[in-house]
Amino acid sequence: MSRLRNISLEIGLIIVLIAGALAVKVGAPAPGFSEQDSTGKTQKLSDYKGKYVVLEWHNQGCPYTQKHYASGNMQKLQKEWTAKGVVWLTVISSAPGKQGFVTPAQENEYLKSQNAVPTAVLMDPAGTLGHLYDAKTTPQMFIIDPQGTLIYQGAIDDRPTTDQGDIAGAKNYVNAALTEAMSGKPVTESATRPYGCSVKYGKF
Amino acid sequence: MARLHYDLKMKARSFFAAALLCASLLLQAAPRPTKHATVELLSQEQSAAPGSEATVGLHFVLENGWHIYWVNPGDSGQPPALKWQLPEGFAAGEIQWPRPERMQSSPSLADYGYHSEVLLSVKLKVPQSIPAGQKPELVLDAKWLICREVCLPDHAQLKLSLPIAASSEKNPSTSPLFARTEKLVPKAMPRTWKTRALSRKDDFLLSLIVGKKFTNAQFFPLDAGQIDNAAKQHVQPTVRGANIVLKKSDLLVKPVTTLRGVLVVDGESFNLNAPVQAQAALK
Repeated sequence: MSRLRNISLEIGLIIVLIAGALAVKVGAPAPGFSEQDSTGKTQKLSDYKGKYVVLEWHNQGCPYTQKHYASGNMQKLQKEWTAKGVVWLTVISSAPGKQGFVTPAQENEYLKSQNAVPTAVLMDPAGTLGHLYDAKTTPQMFIIDPQGTLIYQGAIDDRPTTDQGDIAGAKNYVNAALTEAMSGKPVTESATRPYGCSVKYGKF
Repeated sequence: MARLHYDLKMKARSFFAAALLCASLLLQAAPRPTKHATVELLSQEQSAAPGSEATVGLHFVLENGWHIYWVNPGDSGQPPALKWQLPEGFAAGEIQWPRPERMQSSPSLADYGYHSEVLLSVKLKVPQSIPAGQKPELVLDAKWLICREVCLPDHAQLKLSLPIAASSEKNPSTSPLFARTEKLVPKAMPRTWKTRALSRKDDFLLSLIVGKKFTNAQFFPLDAGQIDNAAKQHVQPTVRGANIVLKKSDLLVKPVTTLRGVLVVDGESFNLNAPVQAQAALK
């Protein structure tokens, strides 16, 4: 029974990897998805047509993620942008047994203790969504416009370090992209090298 | 009674001599334990002449499976950073990065860095004005990220005294390490070699025109976001060298004018700067 599950997981992953190989590029439609969030609700990208959507790849054990959470920086971004109607989806693609993997209950506890306010947290332990977007690091940010086009992918800001002291002087790419897009301007820095720990996908 | 007194005196003298020997060996501090590694600041020279160039380096010895990163870390990670506090007139150059290893953690993720051991050396300019006999202190603040399944940021402040003398002398215990490392630092390409790259829809075709066939070649990019680090580099040997197919990164939005990086062919590593031409016509 578990051998059959392993095989179907493998096939699923291969399909996803091939799909992923079709590339996630700025200017192209963002790949659609349907994922369970930490409250058990199913979240579909298509539910949010007409809104800006931010995807934030997350691993609470990664020192780069910790930089943005311990400082309150990520929570501040979540609060400010969701107040402006942006849908903020945190994504956890860590496999069971790997750093960052949490149960939905643990994640909900974490959100409370961190005062984090994403719209929802997508639980992706099989890495399906991660591979679909070719997410490489935590944090890694993707921004999708109301028409479903990917308008930004990459780093959260331009200071690729673990030091909280680097946040204040950094150029925040998420703020820049959303501000430009919302005022009808093209996004000037639309693809940057994301920085962080590697996403802890499972072995297969 | 007198004999006991004499024995004690001898023991005291030997102890003192041993202590002095230890102290002189500790002109360099012992390796500092850090997270899953030890680090030490070493000098190739045991004495440096005024106006000369010395070589100093940060030596990492890493626990099994743990790694640190190259100047371009690849898909994740962060390279070590060195900040020097040097006496008046001294100047330290940039890190001379040995050729990295490719670390592929999954089909979609590849990083560049080092396992087990690496020496990150810099050239140090010694001022003409410093008199022989002085022992100026070099202070290094180093920060790095060390990873295995998880990543840990770490840092250390290390000090090294560099004795100034009439002539520069290599340190016999450290110079083998510096010499081994020097062989791993990429060299300038022979002037007879030509490299260029063709920018195609989804990849760069990097051409090496060298004069003989190569079957083995690997490219390490200096610039992030140009090539897909995890994609396999297909090497096509040619009569005069080789072509390497380098899949483009999904992050590439602007045209690239030069592909810069390190090319490793037949175990030797070279600095590469290949001008990029856009494909004129689609076949």
